[in-house]
Amino acid sequence: MATVKVSEAEKVYILHGIRDDLRVDGRGCEDYRHVEIETDVVSNTDGSAKVTLGDTAVLVGIKADIGKPRPMVPNEGYLEFFVDCSANATPEFEGRGGEELGTELSNTLYKVFNNKHSVDLKSLCISAGEHCWVLYVDVLLLQCDGNLYDAISVAIKAALFNTKIPKVHISADEEGAKEIELSDDPYDCMRLDVENVPCIVTLCKVGHRHVVDVTLQEKACSVASLIISVTHTGTVTCTRKLGGGSLDPESIFEMTEAGKRVGKALHAPLMKLLRQEESLGKTRQKVGFLG
Amino acid sequence: MPTDTKRVRGPEASQSPSLFLCKPAAVLPSRGPRADGRQRDQVDVRPVFVRCGLVSQAKGSAYIEAGNTKLMCCVYGPRETERKDETDMKCGRLTTDIRFAPFSCPERGSWIQGSQDKDLSLMLHESLQPAVCLHKYPRSQVEVNVMVLENSGSVLAHAVTCASLALADAGIEMYDLVLGCSIHQDGASYVVDPSYAEENSCGSVSGENQGGLTVAFLPSLNQISGLQSDGEMAEETLTAGVRTCIEGCYKLYPVIQQALSRAVRRAAPPPSES
Repeated sequence: MATVKVSEAEKVYILHGIRDDLRVDGRGCEDYRHVEIETDVVSNTDGSAKVTLGDTAVLVGIKADIGKPRPMVPNEGYLEFFVDCSANATPEFEGRGGEELGTELSNTLYKVFNNKHSVDLKSLCISAGEHCWVLYVDVLLLQCDGNLYDAISVAIKAALFNTKIPKVHISADEEGAKEIELSDDPYDCMRLDVENVPCIVTLCKVGHRHVVDVTLQEKACSVASLIISVTHTGTVTCTRKLGGGSLDPESIFEMTEAGKRVGKALHAPLMKLLRQEESLGKTRQKVGFLG
Repeated sequence: MPTDTKRVRGPEASQSPSLFLCKPAAVLPSRGPRADGRQRDQVDVRPVFVRCGLVSQAKGSAYIEAGNTKLMCCVYGPRETERKDETDMKCGRLTTDIRFAPFSCPERGSWIQGSQDKDLSLMLHESLQPAVCLHKYPRSQVEVNVMVLENSGSVLAHAVTCASLALADAGIEMYDLVLGCSIHQDGASYVVDPSYAEENSCGSVSGENQGGLTVAFLPSLNQISGLQSDGEMAEETLTAGVRTCIEGCYKLYPVIQQALSRAVRRAAPPPSES
């Protein structure tokens, strides 16, 4: 992970501030930084979103391909995640440096979506046992300033909301072979229901308190953090402890409770914002990457 | 995709025969006793067999058997860091590696490390790091290699226990032993130390509370060094699950301590002849 070096005096300063619920940039312990979300930024994808969380910028592109379903679940499609830490974010990621972080992020995303209700996989089936939609979710880290998991999960939710999967039509040929036809109308597409897609909240243990949405400086002062992925109903789909320190069981219970509270509160404004952006339609001002 | 030129592999399109079963595998009932006679909703871990010092070449080693899950771990170190540019002047490095033998799971795996192996290695590293006194081994590296010989459920939990035992056998200074325990939540009931079938059961009721949880715990210090859960659970279920895992670790503690003291007594030098 990109790191900054923090002096002992600065660490003490940050620790004492957090102890009094005051962070370096004036936020409270459970406040997020300024978030900007824009969907439909890349035209070649079936769905895309760009999220800027403070100085962290993440771009997600989703492409839908027709593939063969997994052998054990023939009537479901599936999602494949790939996180690429580009060297743009920090020189540490040059070459294969970012590969470890990328694998860790992808594996966590697989776990977060490894349940029946996050995405309705049955709707991705075209014909059982033969064809299904495979959604390739590719995440690109553009800038890295801490709190990657949160930014990535919000971007994935926005991109899935934006995804338009073309409607297909199966027709049987003369020999009995199945033919897949894509409908001609580019607006005739299927949308995904993203109500149950979870969002990840990262809580870092700094001193005796836990902090949401850490910057890199604050992360250098913490020994361990807990990521918890929460749906809009408060169901927890994945938790994971990160970092080289250990946590008290009581802290873990406190952090899961706080994470669930913060995560649950994140969904309603996010969905409202996405629907609002969608409703603007053609009048929407495209901000793009330089705004 | 780079091809593997060192090993003879089966044909590309080979499939496991279990896909062609006439009737689907029976869904495990979520009520009533478990397949191996243990109780649900109780901290009923499988009896473990542990031995230290099996591998003569390694500095420390341990072998653990819990039900049909068999793992062995070797520890090498402390020795000089291989990659000089990553030498840390103040504290040592711990490298962990979990590998599954291709014959360990019901479906044949490959020798090349997949992303699941890398993920488990990372979690093992996070679980062991708080316990090892790395500041006592500056500029050195300690390597922990776990090999899963048979996967019959809760591999990560037993790998953590085995690895910390091997580290103790190697004489690496630690704050405490790290013990692992896992549960699988199925509806309203849970099973501790699930077997492979119980871990992968989809559950008869596709409702809430389906998932697995693994906890790595330091008993004397009462600290959790590793936590991992997936599936979907309510927060209260998760909290209760963590408490159950901690209880499971406490149950395992005397067995591990006894195995370690037996190994030390066996390795004690014989009285000198002259």
